[in-house]
Amino acid sequence: MHDLLDDYTHSNALINTSPRLKLLLGLGAMLICISSATPIAPLFIAITMSLITVGIAKIPGRFYCTLLLIPLSFALLSSGVVAFMHGGGSQLFAMNLFGFMFEIRDDGANLALLLIARTFGGMCSLFFISLTTPMMEIFSVLKSLGLPDFLVDLSMLMYRYIFVFIDQAHLIHNAQVMRLGDAGIKNTLNSHAMLSGVLFLRAWEQGERLIVAMDARCYDGKLVLMEQGAKAKPRAIFAVVGYLVVVEAIVFLTKDIQLL
Amino acid sequence: MTFIIETRNVSYSYGDGMEAMRGVSISLEEGRKIALVGPNGAGKSTLMLMFNGILRPTSGEVLFHGQSLRYDPASLRELRRKVGMVFQNSDDQIFAPTVYQDVAFGPVNLGFPEEKVKRYVGYALAYVGLCGYERRPPHHLSGGEKKRVAIAGILAMEPEVIVLDEPTSNLDPASSEEIMDMLDELKCGGKTIIISTHDVELAYRWADEVILMEGGRILKRGTGQEVFGDPGLINKARLKLPIVVDIYRELVSRGLLSDSNPPRNVLELTDLVESRNRGTISRGTTGKIHIADVDKVGPDEINSILEGAHISYAGAMGTNAKALAERAGIILDFTYGVIDKCILKSLSGKDSLIMTSGGMVDRSVKRIQTYCEESGAKIEVVKLSSLEGPDVNPDRR
Repeated sequence: MHDLLDDYTHSNALINTSPRLKLLLGLGAMLICISSATPIAPLFIAITMSLITVGIAKIPGRFYCTLLLIPLSFALLSSGVVAFMHGGGSQLFAMNLFGFMFEIRDDGANLALLLIARTFGGMCSLFFISLTTPMMEIFSVLKSLGLPDFLVDLSMLMYRYIFVFIDQAHLIHNAQVMRLGDAGIKNTLNSHAMLSGVLFLRAWEQGERLIVAMDARCYDGKLVLMEQGAKAKPRAIFAVVGYLVVVEAIVFLTKDIQLL
Repeated sequence: MTFIIETRNVSYSYGDGMEAMRGVSISLEEGRKIALVGPNGAGKSTLMLMFNGILRPTSGEVLFHGQSLRYDPASLRELRRKVGMVFQNSDDQIFAPTVYQDVAFGPVNLGFPEEKVKRYVGYALAYVGLCGYERRPPHHLSGGEKKRVAIAGILAMEPEVIVLDEPTSNLDPASSEEIMDMLDELKCGGKTIIISTHDVELAYRWADEVILMEGGRILKRGTGQEVFGDPGLINKARLKLPIVVDIYRELVSRGLLSDSNPPRNVLELTDLVESRNRGTISRGTTGKIHIADVDKVGPDEINSILEGAHISYAGAMGTNAKALAERAGIILDFTYGVIDKCILKSLSGKDSLIMTSGGMVDRSVKRIQTYCEESGAKIEVVKLSSLEGPDVNPDRR
């Protein structure tokens, strides 16, 4: 019925590797992306992370590409603006529009390139985490890192009910479309407002039922967490650390290189 | 006789003044399968919610083991541990993000140590046939699997009574029969099972005792035959007769059968028609029924029995037996209503094999014996329980 990230997460080939290690790899790569002064390291991360996600975790390539298009389109738009806004350096491109001069200069272009590369690399790292690590494992890592119980419990319940409400929203939407609720902008907006309202009420009711269900099973303030996921294998730890060192080295070695 | 749950003159009105329950007094015996039957809005769910103290009667009292319910938190916890409730909508009940967590919820909140929690969860999941599902999120489960998880969550608290609100609604026929089979198995283990349903076929066939409700009152209680023997009452309760009873009544009104107790199932109905036709039933040779205890007989042996003897039909009862059949690659002809189906096949001269385990083995043998005594048919039961080979149950020869 729906194509959810979560479904791919539960069927990826890296599901049985240590969640801590996967988080280390993803977050480490992300931090390096942000700290890099040139676009080279982030682009390297983007390519390698994509290869890992598609090649090793066996996420379908087609799906992965469509997923990447979303952040990429944002990045392209905003970096376009940045390229025009920043002056300095030699002029690369200029045009006259209704008496206003629009120009791209060296600094602006470099910044835009860096922006795209960072977004791209960061998103690839984030997708690596979200496509290989089920939420539950992330929760248990968070708990072991000392996040208060009530926050973890609350997020777990929210996570569980997201899917119930996606189903409900889907059903309501179908019911509306079936009776032409999407005919024209006015109707669509109206239907959407109704959907939101009904969903809010349902969420409220579900909350009441949740309390009854928990009470009926002797709720005493405790929600269990699965034990930690698989232990990391020495070889995998070595590979992750090695990868991060290599990327960091690239950052260091390329810090003075200007692409334009 | 021990009553496990009693209500005395219980009434209940909801906040808006709607009366859902008007002076209901019932006493439920321990270790039975009880079905509350009635139309929508008859008060079945309201009554069930009182059994474990979720609703408190406006007047009257509810008793558990002869003790009036107390509604302080400690007593309620104790009660809810002993009276487990499975809600109609599994999504209301399964609130944890993985199967393991959901089943472990009860035991953890009862303060069991971690090792015990694990053991109980493992046992409960094995019982409902969902081993290996621990890490699955509920939204990746089918309706039948969700229902099993919900039941496992209750089983892990080791209740004495299991209350199920419309356990088979929204399930496909095979899943619902499997759930009902599982409830049979639980009843054999000594638990009291109470379900609410408006599926008359199910209630008629399954329940030891049927309680017919309408408009917040009890219209009639008794065995399925007693309750469904009164078409006027059934009509009044906006229900319909089970198809077996309906056919039987039509046959009687055409003078094909004499009027007595309606048959309980297809088997009894066929027997009635046959004995009317031929004077007796099953003159021809009956088929053998083999019963294999899967705790004692391995898959290889069962396969060799299937190849050796001329067994035309195989059926399995209980999750263990079904799991074994799947492992051994045995194609099952019957996965529910197995004993009756095998008797029917035996009467038409075909051999069959029932795979089952634990107390269900003796229950199957007893069921076939009772049938033979009542109908005068001779069916040979071969019990395969030892590893040395088939030993023939002496008293059936």
